[in-house]
Amino acid sequence: MATRLTLAAISKSYGHDKNRVTALHDISLALAEGEFLAIQGPSGSGKSTLLNICGLIDNPSDGSYTLNGVAVAQLSANERCTYRRREIGFIFQRHQLIPAMTVYENIAYPLLLSGSKAKQIKHDVNQLLGVMGLEHRRKHLPKQLSGGERQRIGIARALIKRPQLVIADEPSASLDHQHAHAGLQLMRELNRDYGASFLIASHDPFVIDHCDRKIELLDGHLGAST
Amino acid sequence: MNWLRIALRNVLRDATRVISTLLIIAVGLTALLVGSGFMLSTYDALQEIAMRSEGHVIIIDDNPAPALGGTHQQLSLSHWQTLQSALSEDDRIVRVLPRARFEGMISKGNQSAVFFGSGVDPKEEFRVHGPFLRTDGVLNPWLTLQETPDVVLGAQLARTLNATKGDLLTLHTQNRHGKNSAITVQLAGLYHTGTPEIDNHSLMTNLTTVATLLDTDNISQLSIYLHQREASAAVQTLLQNSRDGITVQTWQQRAELHHKVKALYDRIFGVMGFIILVVIFLAISNTIALAIHQRREEIATLSALGTNPSRIYANFILEACLIGLAATTLGMLLAYAISNGINLAELMMPAPPGKTEGYPIFIYISWPHYLITSAMLIILAALASFLATYKATRVNIAHALS
Repeated sequence: MATRLTLAAISKSYGHDKNRVTALHDISLALAEGEFLAIQGPSGSGKSTLLNICGLIDNPSDGSYTLNGVAVAQLSANERCTYRRREIGFIFQRHQLIPAMTVYENIAYPLLLSGSKAKQIKHDVNQLLGVMGLEHRRKHLPKQLSGGERQRIGIARALIKRPQLVIADEPSASLDHQHAHAGLQLMRELNRDYGASFLIASHDPFVIDHCDRKIELLDGHLGAST
Repeated sequence: MNWLRIALRNVLRDATRVISTLLIIAVGLTALLVGSGFMLSTYDALQEIAMRSEGHVIIIDDNPAPALGGTHQQLSLSHWQTLQSALSEDDRIVRVLPRARFEGMISKGNQSAVFFGSGVDPKEEFRVHGPFLRTDGVLNPWLTLQETPDVVLGAQLARTLNATKGDLLTLHTQNRHGKNSAITVQLAGLYHTGTPEIDNHSLMTNLTTVATLLDTDNISQLSIYLHQREASAAVQTLLQNSRDGITVQTWQQRAELHHKVKALYDRIFGVMGFIILVVIFLAISNTIALAIHQRREEIATLSALGTNPSRIYANFILEACLIGLAATTLGMLLAYAISNGINLAELMMPAPPGKTEGYPIFIYISWPHYLITSAMLIILAALASFLATYKATRVNIAHALS
């Protein structure tokens, strides 16, 4: 199976001199196409930092990162933006829905950015709304939704464009078992049908059990892989 | 996706921010519009003074008389009556007024003073000055019905001579042969121009008196008053091309004071307007920057999802334009109400430097001017929004989301 991403000796530090804090130490990791990889670790272990670097929204201080065979360091800001738009789906821990957009608009947004036709957008969004059990919420704004509903919309938004790589930070947070199951089902379908790779940071044993492989981060160091 | 609807929702979801930005723009626009309305009315008043005192189009002789003294150099237009009759037939022309400039001494008893006089048509002269020449005891139209010729004096000149209406005065000058000449005139009334230099030394009498005194029918100029000032240049060109021996000028070519004062006011109002614009821009920038800072997480999310910076700028600029549109509408309505209120209240400005009398404050309401100024403020709001968003999109996405 081809490699989706490769991290080689990645480090990430913040601050300077005495105030320097290293969040990631010498991380080397490979994620195959269609792989479901869980990252475990306590709070502050560097999971989110690692996800940010893999999702092209932060830069490593050291080391190299290759995504689909392309050295990320060589990409311009615009090219990174294009990559995020086309190839990467984000599921944020705090949902990060756009407050002024309705449920429908939030889910449709990535398709609109990638230039999909209106008819296609309507079809895909309606389908996902059905799967997520959110049809009745389509015209609501995020502030009118519960935490669980927002998280489901966040998952739908990340998956609707069928990205090659999904970065998920605690995707089952604020979801009950039924909806967590539905979300994972959807991720698995995308994984199965389109070969999407998943990089998931989670504490939830239910989510971790669904992953193909687990790695552990402790104080920014990569631990055992199982 | 309807970006306008999304922008509107964003605008409405932060009422405090919107109201403060809206008020800054609205109050700033009101100040600009009322200030510039006053400026426009001042310019118009200056133009009116220049046109009413000289005429829209002025005809003078193109070959001044030989130097026999200042007065005679000014009295060089001969056979003007024919020209006056011919011009009076033109539909564009309201009236054609002859004016003969002369100078000399005026005396009453042992009091005497230098004067700069104008021989005028008493029936028509005071009709053209309008509110810019206030008379005191002068019949309007001013008629010379008595045997003793009439004279009207600048109010301050009369005060210098201690002369009152009905007093007999003597005008002394040199006639066209260079000989001393004098005539007794009766004071028919006073006038006030509000300019001390004019009121101290000027007088008006009828053309017959001037002709008798100077022994010539010549005049200095024919002042042509038109129905529409915009026709000045066309009438000038036509007259200049169709007649020999005369020089035709428009009021603009003669209104040196108007041009100087306008240039001065342009600078004063320009600097004031610029300062107001800068203050508005800084205030808008501050409010918008604060609002955008509070939404940096949203901007970071949009960036993380792969939104081009240009799309993000467009969203925020659209919001600024919506706020700007609402604010400028409010500002225009406020300016309209305040301007009308001031105009109806008939408030007076104090006398400006070089004047003895104040003048009524009038604020012009010009809708094209309102719209252009409003558009300028909307552009400023959009620019402030762009600059703040530009900074926000440069922030590290991961930091903004954490």
